[in-house]
Amino acid sequence: MSAATEMPSPLLPVPDALTQFFWDGVAQGELRIQRCRECRHYIHYPRPICRFCRSRDLTGERVSGRAALYSWTISTQAFHPFWVERVPYTIATVELVEQPRLMFLSQVIGCAEGELRAGLPLEVTFERVAPELTLPFFKPAGAAR
Amino acid sequence: MRRVAIVGVGYSRVGRNTGLTETDLVIESSLAALADAGLETKDVDGVVSMGSDALRDAWMLGITPLDWFFAGGTGPAFVYAAHQAIAAIASGFCHTALALRIIPQQPTGAKLLGGAGAAHPMTAMLAQAVGDRQFSLPFGAGNPPQWAGLLTQRHMAQFGTTEEQFGRHVITQREHAALNDDAFFREPLTMEQYLTSRFVSKPLRILDCDYPCDSGSAVIFTTEERARDLRKPPVFVEASALSATRDLHFEILEDMAETSPKHCAEQLWARTDLRPKDVSVAGLYDGFSVITFQWLEALGFCERGGAGPFVAAGNTRLGGKIPVNTDGGACNVGRRHGANFCIEAVRQLRGECDARQVKDARVAVFSNSFGPFCGATLLTRD
Repeated sequence: MSAATEMPSPLLPVPDALTQFFWDGVAQGELRIQRCRECRHYIHYPRPICRFCRSRDLTGERVSGRAALYSWTISTQAFHPFWVERVPYTIATVELVEQPRLMFLSQVIGCAEGELRAGLPLEVTFERVAPELTLPFFKPAGAAR
Repeated sequence: MRRVAIVGVGYSRVGRNTGLTETDLVIESSLAALADAGLETKDVDGVVSMGSDALRDAWMLGITPLDWFFAGGTGPAFVYAAHQAIAAIASGFCHTALALRIIPQQPTGAKLLGGAGAAHPMTAMLAQAVGDRQFSLPFGAGNPPQWAGLLTQRHMAQFGTTEEQFGRHVITQREHAALNDDAFFREPLTMEQYLTSRFVSKPLRILDCDYPCDSGSAVIFTTEERARDLRKPPVFVEASALSATRDLHFEILEDMAETSPKHCAEQLWARTDLRPKDVSVAGLYDGFSVITFQWLEALGFCERGGAGPFVAAGNTRLGGKIPVNTDGGACNVGRRHGANFCIEAVRQLRGECDARQVKDARVAVFSNSFGPFCGATLLTRD
């Protein structure tokens, strides 16, 4: 445990051979999702084989970053020290526009609680939540933030 | 396939910070179930467990040799152990199996923030953002109440389910708990108390969550032939179904409103001539309130999306159309991961439930988990 005066660090992702492309994309301000080069389906979370056609020819590909809000929850209790000072925040499951039911877990920012609704159009925005961590969050499409 | 019966049920002492070790929970619950059945360890030839080491448990208790054993991995808690026992007996691999669900109390709140989670098998996986968890934990997501919040919100957004309807479910369970000496929480609950209880992950409230505790639960399954000679009237497995519809991720379910219980219930009803209207009493997993709602709909007790109004109309109360969670549920008796619903179903069918007894109960259903995987079992008596 760090001393009380230090800012706690977030849990940092541990990229591996299958997921490196995703975090490389985030570093460059791109949302990349794994895609099958054979049948062209997107796959998330990344897997070593395409569950639609069994191809092993997979790649990380940039997506538009557009999505529709599917569900959300206002996290009012922190489960990790980093988030204690940051509650409440809005965890969201969003459906990326590239493929039906291509779900992505993230946070929605820049949106009043009363504006949240199923189907709300969203777009990706890269948020530096800590010096060592930038995450692809979502905001209402066309919003300034 | 051989017909399978339940002949013994039992709990360890259950509570918060009991000081009981995992083996204490195994020993106390196993001996209680054996005593209930009037069986001795030499009568048992199978041990299956979710949450403890079945081979260690069997050797420790003097149950040797084993014809069937299973020390669970990823699966829907107690009902997964129950299915290992049922399948083994039905197919003839063993004749009498002890099925366990052993749960040392899980760290919560400040203890989790202090790092205590890493020491518990059910929270250790939340301590490192490796593998698939690199897509949830860094985002401040991935903890069970958070995915439960997502699934609860989706039910509300898609079907118009209200906070008060979840509240009515929580209040109903508490009414049942008031009639159960084993329940931790027995004081009546008002709607105002529900609506002012704190959010854990809005719209999920603390009162929508089961209550973490140390618990050991044991159920003994055997053949119909052996069951006939034992102490208690046998309760029979009429039909049973185990179901998985994806890998173990709740947060990115393609459909959060209708999850694995739908497929599970279809399989269950395909394996019996009984129908939902024949069921006297139901134990529908309540790790979070929305799980019970999904089971009410999946099993056909109400229409799809209709659990909120169905519960609010009083249908799940004792004396209602289908009394649900008559022991008070895991929110009130503590976390037993579905084993309590099997045990309560057995006790209801035996007529052992005193003040909360459902009159002339003949058919009971119990279920466990939802989302990616789940299971359900239909029980009858003669």
